[in-house]
Amino acid sequence: MTSLRKVWVVAERDIKMFLRYKFLLIMRAIWFVSQIALFGLIVNHMFQTDVQAAVGGSYFNYYAAGIIIAMLYSTTVFIGYDIYEEADHGVVEYLLSVPVSRKELVLGRSVGGGLRSFLYVGPMMLFILYLIGISNPLQLLVALLSLFLFAFGVAGFSITLAVSIKSSDRFDILMGVIDALIVRLSTTLYPIAYMPPYYKGVALINPLTFAADFFRWGAGLESAASVPPILAAFGIVAFSSIFTFLGIVLHERRLEGGGWR
Amino acid sequence: MAPIIRIVNLTKKFGDFTAVDHLNLEVEEGEILGILGPNGAGKTTTLLMLTTVIKPTEGTAYIGSYDVTKEPDKARTLVGMAFQEPKLLWVDSPWDILNWHAKVCGLTPDERRKRVRWVLEELELWNDRFKSVHAFSGGMRKRVEIAKILIQRPKIAIVDEPTAQVDVVGKHRIWNMLRDLRYEGSTILLATNELYEADALSDRVAIMHKGKLLVCDEPKKLKDSIPGGDVVEITLEKDASDKVLEELKEIPRVANVLAIKQNHLKIYLNQAEEVLPKITEFFMRMNVQVRSIRMSEPSLDDVFAHYTGLTIEEAQRE
Ligand SMILES: Nc1ncnc2c1ncn2[C@@H]1O[C@H](COP(=O)(O)OP(=O)(O)OP(=O)(O)O)[C@@H](O)[C@H]1O
Ligand SMILES: [Mg+2]
Repeated sequence: MTSLRKVWVVAERDIKMFLRYKFLLIMRAIWFVSQIALFGLIVNHMFQTDVQAAVGGSYFNYYAAGIIIAMLYSTTVFIGYDIYEEADHGVVEYLLSVPVSRKELVLGRSVGGGLRSFLYVGPMMLFILYLIGISNPLQLLVALLSLFLFAFGVAGFSITLAVSIKSSDRFDILMGVIDALIVRLSTTLYPIAYMPPYYKGVALINPLTFAADFFRWGAGLESAASVPPILAAFGIVAFSSIFTFLGIVLHERRLEGGGWR
Repeated sequence: MAPIIRIVNLTKKFGDFTAVDHLNLEVEEGEILGILGPNGAGKTTTLLMLTTVIKPTEGTAYIGSYDVTKEPDKARTLVGMAFQEPKLLWVDSPWDILNWHAKVCGLTPDERRKRVRWVLEELELWNDRFKSVHAFSGGMRKRVEIAKILIQRPKIAIVDEPTAQVDVVGKHRIWNMLRDLRYEGSTILLATNELYEADALSDRVAIMHKGKLLVCDEPKKLKDSIPGGDVVEITLEKDASDKVLEELKEIPRVANVLAIKQNHLKIYLNQAEEVLPKITEFFMRMNVQVRSIRMSEPSLDDVFAHYTGLTIEEAQRE
C-alpha cells in the first residue's frame, strides 16, 4: 500500500468518527446561526460610517467572514479530544500497532481532522459567501485551498497539545483559554486599526488573522485585510508545517514510552 | 532456518521497576509459542515491545530481519496483535472496526469482504455487526478483538490471552481458528495464564515469572523434565507440621513436596507404585490420617512449581 493511501485510510477513520457526534454538530450549527443572525446583525447597526469604512463596507460582512474562521478553528481542535477518548479506551496503543508509520498516522489524522471540519463548516461558508457575494472565483478558490491548509495545521496543533498534556481536564481548560485568546487577539472579529499597539503585534502573527484575512481577500473584501495576501498565505503554510512536524515528533516521543496507561 | 522472532536481552523498566528483565527467546517460523506466566509476569509488556507500541529500555528484538528499535515501521508490517484488553471505542461497531482494520492492513476490497463476513459469522457476531460495542459483553468484545487478527492473517500473529472471558464453545472455536491460521503459514505468539490453553495449543511453551524467562520447551518435554515424573496429591485430615514435611522429603524416590495448603500436599516422585505404600505407612506412623490420595500426570503447573517453588495460583496471589 502506498504511503498516500495509508494516510487517507487513517483520515477516513477520523472523518467517520466525527459524524457520530451528532449532538455536538447540531449544537455548533445553532451557535453559528445565532452568531450571524443575532450578534452580527445587531452589532452591525451600532457602527458609525467610519467603522464601516475601516472594515471595507459592511461590518456584517467583515464579521461573518471572521466567524467562519473562528468556527473552523473550534471545530478542528476537536481532534485532540478524540485522542483522549482513544487513550481512555486503549485505542492509542492499537493505532500504534497497525502497519502505518508514525508520520502517516499523524499526517492522516491531521488531514482527517482538518477535512472533516472543513466539510462541516463548508455549507456555512457557502451561505456566508452567498450573503457577501462572490466577485473573483479564482481568488476564492485559492483562499479555500489555503483554509483547508489552515484547518490541517489546527488539527496538527491540537494533536500536538493533546499528546503533550496528559490530563484531559487540563487540555479542556487550556483549549478554552487558547480559544478565547487566539480569537480575540486576531482580526476575526474586529479590524486591526482599532487595536492597541501591543495587541496589534500579537494579532499580526496570529494564524487566525492570516486565515481570516485570506478568506476575506478570497471573498472580495480586499480592503478589509490587514495583512497582504501573500504574507497571510505564507503564515498559514508556516503554521501548518510547524505543527504537523511537532505533532509527528511528539507523537513518537510521548506515546512510545508506555506512559499512556 | 533463521528464527522469525529473535528476542535479545529485551528489558523494560517502568521507573525503578523492571517489568521485563533481559529476556532471550527465539521463535521459529510456523510454530505456536505459548508464553505462560502469572499476572504481572511481563507477558503483555513483552508483546507490546514486539509490536513497537512501547520501546525497550534495553536490548531489542528482531521481527524477521527488522530490529524493532531501528526499523519499527518495517517490523510492524509483519505483525498483527490482538490485545488483552479489547481496544475499542464505545461508539464503534464491529463492522466498522474490522473493516477499517482490514483496510489499514492492506487487504484488497474483495478479500476484505469475504474475510470480514466469514470471521464475523464464525465468531457469532454477524447479527450484531452494526451494534455499538458499548452494549457488548466482555466476551463479545474479546471476540471482536481476536477477529482483527483472524481477518488480517499476519505473518506473525501476537495474541494476548485470546480467550479470556470467552465461553467454552467460543474458546474452542478460537483455538481451532488459531490452529488454522498457523496451517496457513502464520507464526503465533500466544500469551496466556491458562494452563490448558498453553498446553493444548502450543508447540513450545516459554514460562515467565517476574519479568524473566524460566524455561522454554515443548510441553511434553517440560513435563518429563521435572524430577519425579509422577505426581501424587494427598489430602490429610489435619495439617501437617513442618517436621512431617521435612521427613516426607527424606523418603527415597520422593523428589519434592509442595504444600498447596498445610493439609493438601503435592508430592513429586518416581515409581509411584512402590513408593506410595511407604508414604501411607509414613503418615500412619506420624499419626496423621489421610483423607484422599490422587495420582496424576505432571502438568505445566507442576513445571512452573518446579522452577519457582510456587503454583501458578500462588504466584498469581503474590
Ligand atoms: N505502563 C506501565 N507503567 C508502570 N508499570 C507497568 C506498566 N505496564 C505494566 N507495568 C507493570 O509491569 C508488570 C508486568 O505487567 P504485564 O502487563 O506485562 O504482565 P502480564 O504478564 O501481561 O500480566 P497479566 O497476566 O495480568 O496480563 C506489572 O507489575 C505491571 O504492573
Ligand atoms: Mg497481560
